[in-house]
Amino acid sequence: MASLEDTRRKEFAVLATPAVLFVGAFCIAPLALLFLYSFYRVDFVAMVPDLNLRNYATVVTSETYRTLIGKAMLHGALVAGFTAVLAYPLAFFIAMRVKVYKAALLTALLIPLYTGDLVRIFAWRVVLGAEGILNTFLLWIGATEQPIMALLFSTGASLLVLTYNYLPFMVLAIWIALELLDRSLLEAAADLGAGRFRTFRHVVLPLTLPGVLVGALMVFALVIGDYLTPQLIGGSSGVTVISAIHDLFGAAFDWPLGGAIAWVLMAVLVTLIAALATLALRSRLGRALLRTR
Amino acid sequence: MADFGTSLDRRRFLKLCAAASAVTALPLATRPAQAKASAVYWLTWENLAKAEYLAPYLAAGGVPITKGFIGSDDEQFAKLRAGGGSEWDLITPGIDKAELYIASNLLQPLDLSKIPNAAHLYAPFKTSPLGKKDGKTYNIPFYWGINPIVYRADLMDKEPDWSTLFEGEKYKGRLAMRDYALEGIVISALYVGIPRDKLFKMGAKELAECKKALLAQKKLLRTYWNSIGDLTNLFASGEVVCAFSWVPPYYDLKARGLNMGMAKPKQGVIGWCDSLAIPAQSKPEGVEAAHALINYLLGPEYGKLLAVGGPYAQSTDIARSSLTDEQQERIFVKDLGVMDSFVWKENPANYGDWVRLWNEVKAS
Repeated sequence: MASLEDTRRKEFAVLATPAVLFVGAFCIAPLALLFLYSFYRVDFVAMVPDLNLRNYATVVTSETYRTLIGKAMLHGALVAGFTAVLAYPLAFFIAMRVKVYKAALLTALLIPLYTGDLVRIFAWRVVLGAEGILNTFLLWIGATEQPIMALLFSTGASLLVLTYNYLPFMVLAIWIALELLDRSLLEAAADLGAGRFRTFRHVVLPLTLPGVLVGALMVFALVIGDYLTPQLIGGSSGVTVISAIHDLFGAAFDWPLGGAIAWVLMAVLVTLIAALATLALRSRLGRALLRTR
Repeated sequence: MADFGTSLDRRRFLKLCAAASAVTALPLATRPAQAKASAVYWLTWENLAKAEYLAPYLAAGGVPITKGFIGSDDEQFAKLRAGGGSEWDLITPGIDKAELYIASNLLQPLDLSKIPNAAHLYAPFKTSPLGKKDGKTYNIPFYWGINPIVYRADLMDKEPDWSTLFEGEKYKGRLAMRDYALEGIVISALYVGIPRDKLFKMGAKELAECKKALLAQKKLLRTYWNSIGDLTNLFASGEVVCAFSWVPPYYDLKARGLNMGMAKPKQGVIGWCDSLAIPAQSKPEGVEAAHALINYLLGPEYGKLLAVGGPYAQSTDIARSSLTDEQQERIFVKDLGVMDSFVWKENPANYGDWVRLWNEVKAS
């Protein structure tokens, strides 16, 4: 007769198999194929399986691709930071202060996401353009004599719109962490004489930091993958590593080099995230969080 | 049990769905006896397949058209490379890319005896080697135009030329170029004075010269535009006063009351031509229908509708005499000698190097 342990193992296998097959077929297999192509070379319209590291050498030695990968990381980190700073008070307000209209506020927060990327981008152009709302206002109040051209088609404009685009993801991640916070801990802190700031600093913030980290990772990855916003808002400096990969796969028909850049980008991302996770878990806060499990 | 074959591709799936719908809706209808295609599948640009352009063809009993739209030539090539050839009977590649399709065995030769209107092709298209291989024609020129400089005449004091997009401070931050390596680099080559016969055959030395000019140009640009709708918007909102463009913003914004200008610099203007081709995997009944559609698209009715509505010129002169002088002027066929001054796009053998250079400039 099968033991309970065996039955559970079989149940697990049955339940996990579809997920494993799905991930294998739709995620691992295409990436593996891309990895294989990254060692090929292109001869006009043919991809020749002349396996070597030429494409990786090109990526590593090219200042352009190194710069673009570095820029992607920097912009991902900056936008993750900006959204965290803006989202925390908003999520805190919704989770801790709002009772009746919580669902309405969260829905309102998500409404911009339903409008699509292009609508949001063009709406921002109307706001930031040379003849846009903001410049018109600044001219009207006499703050400037000429329209400020850098409000649109600049790196700053690109970061601003990216921050706006991905703010809801950060708010949701932090809001969930705040909702899961055990309220009795706040009462205990108050009973022990801690003021509001001290309670926030030593109780609320550490316990909701995993939510901030989850949000940051989401925003970081989404920003790196977004090439439309920088292209349409960032002006002549709006090129991203993703748009460079897109050009290589499309216009240049150089899938091997495009594949090599994609894999280098992925390797850098994974290494960075693993290093951050390791550092976080080794910190005093990380160790404390692990102990509470 | 019915045998559906070893593969159920999208086209067959659509046919099955259409057949099932027809059977459900009209159970008593009888099927035609002859083996004629029920539809011809055409992958093309949306502005070429407007209902009013195709109405005469359908009214004359032409095979119904199922349309698919492309966003770029690269997308079309990628679709066919990925095995999408069996879904379409007719595609619309740029003729400069024809050799890529032919070398990839994606096309089947055309039977010119079934396209009598091909006899009316303009001379430069008739003699062009593009789209031909081993004495066979795979791509037939379809429609063409030029990509000039378009500018806000109300905001500029003289007609620009290519140098306006590369030097001077007067319009700094108000200029735009298309985000497209081929055209961007050719324009820089025209600006630095590379001979016309070398434009698409540039080696490392010439490309380095172009890169230097493009790096200087980048500092003057407001942005690189990605779609013609986007550029039209940039002109209308005053963000950009002068750009390497397509023709439509000139007419669209003039119609809306803006004082627009169009310049065709003496250094040369890029001419383009899209072609019609039949995918290698198209079935015989689809091939037959595609030939009939090609003949219509090169014919007088479509030509006039496209000239007036586009405004674009088809590759044959068959509709020219039915157009007014103004209509001919709009599509650059009033003085046919002007075609000789255009720089017709070709596909450089080292295009990968061009794209990498373009990315280097944009990332600088």
